Amino acid sequence: MLFESNKNNNPSRPSNSVEGLIMSNPTQATSAPWRIGVLFSRTGFMSVIEETQYQGTQLAIEEVNEAGGVCGRELVPVAYDPGSDSAAYGHYAKRLMVEDQVSTIFGCYTSSSRKAVLPVVERLNGLLWYPTLYEGFEASPNVIYTGASPNQNSLALCRYLMDTFGTRFYFVGSDYIYPRESNRVMRELLKSNGGSVVGERYVNVYARWQDFVPIIQDIKRVRPDVIFSTVVGEGTVFLYQAYANVGLDPKQVPIASLTTTEAEIAAMGFDVGEGHVTAASYFQGVEGSANNAFVQRFKKRFGADISTNMCAEASYFQLHLFAKALEQVNSLDTEVLRSMVFGTSFDAPQGAVTVNPMSGHTDLWTRIGRANRQGQFDVVRQSKEPVHADPFLIGYGRATQTGSVQ
Amino acid sequence: MNEQSRKPSLSRDVGGRKTMVQELADLSAVVVAPVDDQVGMLLRELQRFRMRVRQVWPMPESVPADADVVYCEYSPDLARRLPWIPGDARSALVVILPATEAVHADALCHATPNAVLPRPFTQNAVLSSLVLARSQFGYERRLRSKIEKLDDNLRSMRTVERAKAILMATRQMPETEAYGFIRRQAMDRRVSASAVAAAIVDSFELLGYDHQQ
Repeated sequence: MLFESNKNNNPSRPSNSVEGLIMSNPTQATSAPWRIGVLFSRTGFMSVIEETQYQGTQLAIEEVNEAGGVCGRELVPVAYDPGSDSAAYGHYAKRLMVEDQVSTIFGCYTSSSRKAVLPVVERLNGLLWYPTLYEGFEASPNVIYTGASPNQNSLALCRYLMDTFGTRFYFVGSDYIYPRESNRVMRELLKSNGGSVVGERYVNVYARWQDFVPIIQDIKRVRPDVIFSTVVGEGTVFLYQAYANVGLDPKQVPIASLTTTEAEIAAMGFDVGEGHVTAASYFQGVEGSANNAFVQRFKKRFGADISTNMCAEASYFQLHLFAKALEQVNSLDTEVLRSMVFGTSFDAPQGAVTVNPMSGHTDLWTRIGRANRQGQFDVVRQSKEPVHADPFLIGYGRATQTGSVQ
Repeated sequence: MNEQSRKPSLSRDVGGRKTMVQELADLSAVVVAPVDDQVGMLLRELQRFRMRVRQVWPMPESVPADADVVYCEYSPDLARRLPWIPGDARSALVVILPATEAVHADALCHATPNAVLPRPFTQNAVLSSLVLARSQFGYERRLRSKIEKLDDNLRSMRTVERAKAILMATRQMPETEAYGFIRRQAMDRRVSASAVAAAIVDSFELLGYDHQQ
């Protein structure tokens, strides 16, 4: 709806011929590199996951450059480390666009950091590529969203948990935008399916191990069927460890999450993570040649004991999707690039994905995984095809009551 | 309140609406420029509009932004010196342009001014830059707050829809009546309709209404 006009003036795609390139860009003779911005926190409490997003981005850039660049020009990243400080993302976005003359930025994990970058890319008409699941209810013309929105993960997760474990959910989250908004959506889904929220706790994003002890005690007292966690960053490790320490059993009362990936499981210990549930578009164990190649190259580049995960995968495929669109238009001009990106498909490690022109979000696969002893996820459910992004949950009013999950 | 103390010409407004000139009075301005004949004239003009004016020079590393309007000399790195990130400006910005020295288009664009004032100044140019900057800045701010409210409404509408459905099912109310009920409760309690709706949805859950019926 929001981008109806773009849908109509989506330019007919120039062919990959020299003619097309000359028509679309008079300066095609240059061999100067394409400069792109990269903003992930490689230090601070979000570094566990954002480091892997940085790696996914880096690997894709290297692959594009090894294959000869885009239109014969190399991709050169200008990267800053905002150190897990949301406000710093805004300042670095400003520096990238104003001082480094970059118009396309790849980055952000937390919603607070995305919202810090948003005014900058909107005012200066840049393009932020955001490779992280989030709470939905946003569609900026200056953002390409390549992580899952709630209809692509929360919905299926809620259904699976209610089918398998029961209807009484206990919410634990980090105290910022994403957990509160995700819980709002999850609460709504639960209520329309006859479930209930029997507890709701938030911890500071800087929470330490001991902050989770009273919560775990409360959980033992309340005895929910499921713990729904929206704890992110280091806190994830503390929550799962506190759970394991009191001897709760994931087979009975699992922690379910949208954010606990292979990276967090590795940080907490495979035995601690075993049996817990995550909904994601991608797990390392996904079958297919695109993923086999991705996992192999990722391990070769960053170490055999490092797993891929949904955030690294989204960072990886969005860079390739960007390069594919850039190859067609030969221009970093936001308007030109965006209209080419809309509708572009890519054979991602998770399967075929397409940027949905209706919302700038990506049609992704829905999967439910249960962590095993090897720190990997066994896929217990998955969609038959990519699920259309619906960030405003327009198609999911009361529809959940009649059971149309996917 | 102190309309009486103002110049007679200022209170000639009809229908209680402030004139532009009245709106300008009591605003604060920072002028970041070296004092020469031109800037002297600018300062006098602003003072003539009864604005509280402060002049600053040399150009500080971070441009002072504690004013309603900031007049700032152009410089190629102006955007970097502004204390806010683009899209989140706290003051209306007028960039003073040099008469002959070349201006870099991208640098000007990145500073996101609300108006420009090219040298040499005239009284008309000063007035128009001021009026334009105020009006553009205000309009942009209103649009942003409108978008924020729309976002909020979008979320609360889902809650209101659910509450309405609950009322329709449990109290056999027709749709319009259910909405009227929510609105009346909101007015009586002086809270938003979405707060009432959330309370209905919550209590519905608490009472353990059987969903499968």
